[in-house]
This record gives sequence, structure tokens and C-alpha cells, in this order.
Amino acid sequence: MTLNFLIAPDFAPERFAGWHMLNTTLQRRSGIHLHLLTPVSAHEQADLLAAGKADLVYANPFDATDMIRTQGYIPFARPAKRYDEMVIATGAESGLSTVEDLKAGCRIALTENKDVKLIGLRLLEPADLTEDAVRWVPVETYQAAARLAIKGEVEASFFLADAFASLTRMSRSQLRVLVESAISDISHVVLAHPRVVEALPRIEEALLAIGQVPGDSDVLEALGLPSGFEPMTQEEAEFMIDLMDTLLD
Amino acid sequence: MGLPDMALPSAPSREARLTYTDGTSRTVYATDVEVPFPEGRLIVSRTDLAGVITHANDAFVEMSGYAREELIGAPHHILRHPDMPRIAFKGLWDDVAAGKKWHGYVKNLRKDGAYYWVYATAVPNIRNGVIVGYTSVRRKPSRTRINELVPVYAQWLAGEKAAS
Repeated sequence: MTLNFLIAPDFAPERFAGWHMLNTTLQRRSGIHLHLLTPVSAHEQADLLAAGKADLVYANPFDATDMIRTQGYIPFARPAKRYDEMVIATGAESGLSTVEDLKAGCRIALTENKDVKLIGLRLLEPADLTEDAVRWVPVETYQAAARLAIKGEVEASFFLADAFASLTRMSRSQLRVLVESAISDISHVVLAHPRVVEALPRIEEALLAIGQVPGDSDVLEALGLPSGFEPMTQEEAEFMIDLMDTLLD
Repeated sequence: MGLPDMALPSAPSREARLTYTDGTSRTVYATDVEVPFPEGRLIVSRTDLAGVITHANDAFVEMSGYAREELIGAPHHILRHPDMPRIAFKGLWDDVAAGKKWHGYVKNLRKDGAYYWVYATAVPNIRNGVIVGYTSVRRKPSRTRINELVPVYAQWLAGEKAAS
């Protein structure tokens, strides 16, 4: 039996090796052959999901909403002590110091990460900025978002907080954080398709135990998830989805 | 059993007697101290179908001024500020009980009599097609919108007092 394990495309490039290390470890301990799928874009991920190719998914919370509620995917784990937070930053020379300094018509760079945009839109509300009042500048990478803000070609950029923390020290020194979310309730989720429910206990046991064997810390460090994974119940996932629902408008 | 009367705050305050939708009432004290909404955070709570708090996140506990143990099991109207007219909550329970989302700008009362403004959203928790409770998430509101609403709420409140 081979199961496809799809990883949401929003991880930093330097984590790529970590996902392969995790996949190898999971295979060895569960006795189940796993084929890693690493789509490079949200579009490619959507194609793989639509084709029914994902048996296990490390999903971002925005996508998990539909997968759990509409497609019946089963949530069973999430990164431990690792929440999805976002940062709105401006160039250090911009003269802006709070979100309220951003005005209608301002330019904001953002990647295609929907979670970051959703949370970011809510953090712009105190500045009376709606989605229509911003001139959005789409970029491929967080590095590109940083460059535009540093060069003053946008007034602000949206970042996944982890990605912001991964920028070079030089880049961060040329940026100023206007606001950083501290929601602590929204995280990525590990899901299983209902058709693989029989294999799920072995996968779940292997995944949740990673961190308990010497050498596991190398895998978790490479993933950027030093605390490993923790169980997530259906109700915990539903609670997170309800919370995200309140942020949609 | 209703909530006990509030303790008199040390700061100068106004006294009011609030009667809630469940028929209970209590004396509250409101000061003019505003506590700013914490940057980047969300205030999250859940209630059962009767509006009794079953979950409060850390931001909720910190901003309310109550201990978590005081909040869990208490009715959500423990936060009701005497400056809030009833009509501002019009539709809240009707909407969520009908499976819909509700939004509103709300001035909340802290345990110490101070207040904080929020933009509140409430959604029903629907499990297997059945509403089992409600989630309320409060985020930092637009100050412009609050400044517009303060006189509106005051007018509505005056109207309600005149009618009662």
C-alpha cells in the first residue's frame, strides 16, 4: 500500500529536506509506504486535491476548512506549540509606525498565502482599510515582499510570521513591524482522507511519537517544528474552523 | 441565580442597575477608563446554547479583568456595559440561533468598571447539522466607526430609557 502525503506549499524552501526526512521516518515506523507530494503553488495543490490524489495532507488552516467540512477529511494532528501568525511590516525609512498610519490607496505586497491575507485584512481594520481600499502587489516570495517594502515600492508587506523570522538579519533591520498577530488558535493541520482510515492509527502513532527517539530532533529541527506534533481532535479542528469563519468578513 | 452586584471600583464611577434578558439584574459600576484593545490579538469565547461561557482564551481573561474560574459558567452578559442599548444586540441571538453570523461594535464592561471597545462576531457551532453552542471572536475595531457609533448608541439608550 502506498499513500500520498501532500504538503501545503507555504513552507520555506529550506524546510524541503525536513519534509523528506519526516516522510522517510514515518514510512519506517508505520510500515506504510508514503509518497511525498510537494506542490509548488496553491493552484498545483488544488489540482492534486481535485484529482483525489491526497491521502494524507499537511494543510494550511484556510484549506483545511473545506477539506474537513466538505470533503470529510479527518483531522488527527497539528504542530505542537506552533501557530500560524502573520506580520505586517513597512520599510524602516517609510516614516510609518502603526497600522493606523496606512491610508486608503496604499500599496501592500503579499504572496498567495490565503491565511496570511485573511488575518492581515482583519489587522488592517483599525486603519479603516478594506480590501478594496488597498492597491495589492502580488509577489512570489516573502523575500520579494521584503525587497519591495525596503525599497519603498510598497507601503507595507504581509508575511507569515515564520517567514518574516527567517529573513536575513540585514533584511529585517531594514523593515519595521507595524503589527504582528498573536492569535494562538490557528495552526496547520494534518488530515487523512476517509478512504485511508484503516491505516490512520499506524500513521498517527508514528507521527505523534516523533521526537521521542534519539535523532528525531534532527528531523524536527529541519522541519522548523522543534516541538513535533500533538493530537488534534475533530472538535478542536471544528473550533478552529468556527474561529476562522468569524474572520472571513 | 443571577450575577452578584459589582464591587465599587476605586476610580470615580457611575452606578447602574442592569436587567438582563434572563430576568436577573445586578448593580454595575462604570468608570471612564478605557483599556486599549491588545494589538494583534483576538478575544475568543464560546458559550452553550443558553449563553453560558464554556471557553475563554487568555486575551478574554486579561481584557475582562475576571479570573478564568469566574468567567467559565457565568452568563456572557457579565460583560454588558450600561452604555450599550439593547437594540445594538438586536438580531444577535436570532441570527446565531438561525445558523447565521452576527457582527457588531460593542462596548464591554470590565470587572474593575473600565471599558474596552471591540468589533464582535458571533457564529453558531454547528456539529452534524445541529447547533451545539456559539463562538464569539472580538477584534480591534475601527476608531472612526466607534466615534460614529457613540452618539448613536447614546441616542438609542436614551430612547429605551424614555420608553421604559
